[in-house]
Amino acid sequence: MQLANLILAQLINGITLGSLYALIALGYTLVYGILLMINFAHSELFMSGAFVGLGVMTLLTSSSIAQKFPVLAPAQAFFTGSNVGVFFMLMIVFLVSMLVVGIMGVIIERFAYRPLRHAPRLAPLISAVGVSLFLQNAVLLWVSAQQIPFPNPIGNGIAFTIGTVDVSVLKVIIFVTAIVLLVALDTFISHSRFGKAMRATSQDREAAGLMGIDINFSIMLAFFIGPALGAVAGIFNGMYYGSIVFNMGFLPGLKAFTAAVLGGIGNLRGAMLGGFVLGIAESLASGFISTGYKDVIAFAILILVLIFRPGGLLGESVVEKV
Amino acid sequence: MAESKAKTNTKAGTGRVTPIKIALYTLLALALIITPLIFEGYGWLFVPHIMALIGLYVMLALGLNIVVGFAGLLDLGYVAFYAIGAYAGVIVGAWAFKGAPALGPYIYFLMIPVAAAAAALTGLALGTPVLRLRGDYLAIVTLGFGEIVRIVITNNAFGITNGAAGLPAAGQFIPKPFGLDWLINNVYFNIPALGKNFIFTIDGNVYWYYMIVLLCLLTIFVVRRLDQSRLGRSWAAMREDEVAASSVGVSITAAKLWAFSLGALWGGIAGLTFANFQQFVSPESFTFMESVFIVCTIVIGGMGSIPGAIVGAIIIQGIPAFIQGMAAAGKIPGVDPSTATVIANYRFLVFGLFVVIMMAWRPQGLIPSKRRAAELKPDTAEMGDEESETLYDAQHDSGQF
Amino acid sequence: MSTKRMLAAASLLVAVAMISTGCGGSSSGSSSTSSGPTEVKIGIGAPLTAGATALGQGMVRGAELAIEQANASSTVTAAGLKFTPVSGDDQGDPKTGVTVANTFASDPALVGVMGHLNSGVSIPASKVYADKKIVMISPASTNPALTQQGLSNVFRVCTTDAVQGPAAADFATKLLGFKSVYVVDDSTPYGEGLAKAFADQFTANGGKVVGTAKTSDKDSDFNALVTKMKSTNPDFIYYGGVYNAGALLAKQAKDGGIKGPLMGGDGLYDPQFIALAGAAEAEGDFATSVGLPIDKLPAGQDFLTAYNKKYPGQAPAAYDAYSYDAANVIIAAVVEAAKSVGADKVVSPAGRDEIIKDVAATNMVGVTGPIAFDKNGDTTNKAITLYTVSGGKWITKALPQ
Repeated sequence: MQLANLILAQLINGITLGSLYALIALGYTLVYGILLMINFAHSELFMSGAFVGLGVMTLLTSSSIAQKFPVLAPAQAFFTGSNVGVFFMLMIVFLVSMLVVGIMGVIIERFAYRPLRHAPRLAPLISAVGVSLFLQNAVLLWVSAQQIPFPNPIGNGIAFTIGTVDVSVLKVIIFVTAIVLLVALDTFISHSRFGKAMRATSQDREAAGLMGIDINFSIMLAFFIGPALGAVAGIFNGMYYGSIVFNMGFLPGLKAFTAAVLGGIGNLRGAMLGGFVLGIAESLASGFISTGYKDVIAFAILILVLIFRPGGLLGESVVEKV
Repeated sequence: MAESKAKTNTKAGTGRVTPIKIALYTLLALALIITPLIFEGYGWLFVPHIMALIGLYVMLALGLNIVVGFAGLLDLGYVAFYAIGAYAGVIVGAWAFKGAPALGPYIYFLMIPVAAAAAALTGLALGTPVLRLRGDYLAIVTLGFGEIVRIVITNNAFGITNGAAGLPAAGQFIPKPFGLDWLINNVYFNIPALGKNFIFTIDGNVYWYYMIVLLCLLTIFVVRRLDQSRLGRSWAAMREDEVAASSVGVSITAAKLWAFSLGALWGGIAGLTFANFQQFVSPESFTFMESVFIVCTIVIGGMGSIPGAIVGAIIIQGIPAFIQGMAAAGKIPGVDPSTATVIANYRFLVFGLFVVIMMAWRPQGLIPSKRRAAELKPDTAEMGDEESETLYDAQHDSGQF
Repeated sequence: MSTKRMLAAASLLVAVAMISTGCGGSSSGSSSTSSGPTEVKIGIGAPLTAGATALGQGMVRGAELAIEQANASSTVTAAGLKFTPVSGDDQGDPKTGVTVANTFASDPALVGVMGHLNSGVSIPASKVYADKKIVMISPASTNPALTQQGLSNVFRVCTTDAVQGPAAADFATKLLGFKSVYVVDDSTPYGEGLAKAFADQFTANGGKVVGTAKTSDKDSDFNALVTKMKSTNPDFIYYGGVYNAGALLAKQAKDGGIKGPLMGGDGLYDPQFIALAGAAEAEGDFATSVGLPIDKLPAGQDFLTAYNKKYPGQAPAAYDAYSYDAANVIIAAVVEAAKSVGADKVVSPAGRDEIIKDVAATNMVGVTGPIAFDKNGDTTNKAITLYTVSGGKWITKALPQ
C-alpha cells in the first residue's frame, strides 16, 4: 500500500530525528532536574561536539595529515582500511568528543553557573545565553563562519527494507545508539551510587549535603553527562545531514528543549519520550501537512499538551508549596 | 517581605524636589534633545539611528518588564507582539490610506491604537489558555507562541503578510508622518559657531528619534503609574507569593491577564514604530533571539526598574552597534575602517563574556528597583534560595529522576 | 510638578540656543585641501559573520579586487582620485543592514555602495542611501521590489527573479525535456520569488508542478520532505534558495533515492554547494546564473587571472564577478564625475548627483557581459546561462537562448 509505506517511511525519518532530539533533550532535563535551570548553552555544546568530532575524525583519517606526519600513516591506513578500522575510528571520535565536550560542560558550570547558585533564577538563564553567544562566536572566529562538510564513514548502505521502505545503516545505528545510551543512563541514575547521589541532590540539595553527599560532584556529573550525550547527537547530526556550521545548535537545541518540556522537564524518560514524539510529529507534519508549518505544528502540540497536562507527558503534577 | 509603598522605583519619586535635582534633570533633558543634533550636524548619521534603536528597545524592555519584572511571569516570546503591532499597523494603515489618502500624514498616529489593540488582544488570547502554567512551562509556551507567529507570517497567512518578502512598501503605503517631509527638506543650515563642518539637519533618523523619545516618556509615565497602582501592588503580591496573594483577595486571573495584555500593548506600539522607522518590515526581524535580547536587557539593567531598562538597552543595543559604527565609519583614530569587520566579529564574543561576568558580579542587574533589590539580594544564601523560588516558580520538590 | 517645569526649562533653552546661532546658507561637504589625490570611499555591504557568509566574503573579494586595480590604473590617478573600500557586515539582517547603511552614510567621503546581498537588507538600506545621494549597486538582490521603489540611486547588475525563474523553466522544459517538477523554496525573499517565477513559467510551458514546499534557510533536516517528494516521483526538483540549505537538500534527496537532479538559481552557483552536497551527490545538478559564463568572455579571462593572483587557491563564489563589475561601474562613474565637476568636488552633493547620473548612463562591458541599466535601475543584460555539476565542478551546460 502506497500510503502505508509513506507513513512508515515518515515514521522512520521521525524516529531518527527523534533519537537526536532525545539525546539532546537529556542534557536539558538532567541539568533542570538537579538545578532547576534551563541550560541555554546546551545547544552550543551539541554544536561543539560535532566540531570536536570532525576535528578528531580528520586527524585520524585525513591523508594529507598522514603525509605530513608519517608517524600517523599506519594508524590512518588502519582506520580507513576496513569496517573494523572504521568502527574503532568512530569509537575514538565519539569518546574523545564526549570527553572534551563533557569537560567543557563542567567548566561552564564551574565559572558561569556555580557563582549564581543563590542568585535569582533568571540570572543563570541569562548567563547561559552569554555562554551560548560566546561559544557560537568562538567557533565562528576560530574555526569557520561557513558550513563545513562532514564525512559519513558509515556510508549510505541499506540495512533492511520494510515493504518498499529502505532503512539505511546509519539510521539504524543512530536509533540503536540512542536507545543504548538512554537505557544506560536510566540505569546509572536509578541504581548506581553516583546516580542515587544525583537524585538526592535534585530532591533537596541542602538535605543531601547534610547527609554527606558531595552535591558539587553530583552537579558536575550532570554537567558532564548531558553535554557528552549532546556531543554524540552532534556527531550523528553531522554524519546524517552531511555538514556542520557554527550556529547549527540553535534549532535542534530549541526543539530538544521543547521535547524535554513536552515529556515533563526534569524527567529522564519524559525527555526521551518527548524527543521521539516531537521528531515523529515533525516528520509526519512535513510529510502530510506542510513543511512550512511543521514547526507550528510541533509547537502547537506542545502548547496543547501543556494546557491539558501542565506537567508534560510524564511529569508529575506540580505540587503547590504553601 | 514588607510592602514598601513609599519607596517607588525611580529616583524622581523619592523625597523632595531639590534644586540640584532640577538642574540634573534639565541637563539630562537637554542632552537627550541636543546630542542627536550634534552628531547629525557633524555627519555622524549612525549615532541618531542607534539612539533611536535604543529608544525602541527601551520601550520593548519597559513593556516586557510589566510581564517579567512586575508580574513575575517569564515571557520568551515577547517579540510576537512586536511583530503583530508592526504588521497590523502597516496592513491596516495601507488599507486605510487607500480608502482615504487625505489621512496620509496622520496614518502613523492613527495606527498607534490599532497596533496597540492588536497586540494587547493577542496578549489576552495568549494569556487566557496559559493561566494555569507557571515558571518554565510558561516560558516555553510563550517561546513556542513567538515562533508560531513568525512562521505564520513567513507563510503568508491569509494572503496579507506577503510572506518572507515582507512589506517593502511599509514606508510608501504609509506616508511619512506629519511634517517629516517638510523637516527633511527645509531644515538644513550651518551654524558657524560650531565650526564650518557643522550642518544643522533633521532627517528620518533624528525625526524618529524624537518620536521614539516621546513614546518612551509616555511609556515611562504609564509604567510608573501602573507600578504604583492597585494593579501594580497586586502584581507585586502575586510575584512574591501567588497563594498568599490570592488568599488575601488578589484576583490572580485578572492580574495575569492585565499583565499580559498591558505588556503586549507596548510591544505592539514599538513594532509599529519600528516598521515606520525602518520603512520595511519582514519576518526575519522577529526571531527568538530578539526575544532573548529583550529579556537580557531587563535582567542586565535590573528587573522592575525604569533606569535599568534604559541602561540595559544602551548596553545591549547601543554600545556594540556604536563601536562597530565608529570603526566602520573611520571615526576611531588609528583604526583602519576594514578592521571594523574584525570588531564586528569579536562583538558577540565579548558580549557573551560580558553577560556571564555581569551575572556573576551583579545578578540583580545594574540598577534594580529598590523593592526588587531587596527581594533579589537577600541577607543569607538560604533566604535567597527560598525567595528565588517565588521569582518564577515551577516547583519540582519531588525528585524527578 | 518637577517634570513639567524641567521640560519647559529645557525646551526654552533649546529654543534660545537655536535662535541665537541663526541660520546660515547650506554648506558643501568636507573637501580635501591637501594636494594629494581625493580619497573616495566605496562601501561594501554584505553578510560577513552570519547568513550566507561565503557569498558575502566573495562579494568583498570581488569588489576589493576591482578597487585595487582601479587605484593602479592611470585613468584613476590622472583623475586625481584614490579609492578605499569599506566593508560593512549586515549579517543578512534588515535591522543590522540599516545600521550599516547609516554608518556608510556617515562617512562624507563615501559616495557609493556595492551591496547588499539579501533583498530584505537591500530594500530598507536603499532608502537610507537615497536620502544621502549615495549610489547603490546590488550584485545579488533579485527581489523585483528593490528597483520599483522609485529611487533614482538604486541599481543592480543581476537580473530579477522575474527574468531568472522563467529562463530556468525554459531550459528545463525545452532543453532538458523535463515534464514534472517539485518546487521547494527557503522562505527567504529571494528563494520565494524565484521559485514562484519559475513555477509559473514551467506551468505555462506545459510542465506539471507535482508539489510545492516551503522550508527554512536554517533547516538541515529534509528527510521527511524527501520521502514526500519521492512519492510524487518528479523529473527534477527546483530549489529557490541559497547553497547552504540547498546543498543539504540536494544531498539528502540523492541519499533518499530521488533520481532526478536539483536545479536552482544563482544562489546555488557556488563551489561551496558541491563541497557541501558532496561531488557524487551534486553530480548532474543544475544552476542558472546571470550573464555569460565569465571564462567565455575575454574580460572574464583577465578577471580570473587577476583573481587567482590576488586570492590564490580561492575559487570565485557566485557573486564575486558581479561585485567586481558593480564596483567598476561605481568607479567609472566617479571618474566621469571627477572630470565634469572636479576631483575635489566628487564627494559634494553636486558630485553625488553627477555620479548617480553617470551610473544610470553606464554602458560598458564587464566580466559578466555588457552592463547598462533601464529606467528603474535594472540591468538590461537578461542573458541567463545554465550550469551543471560535472566531476565536482560547475561547468557551462547551455548558453543563453
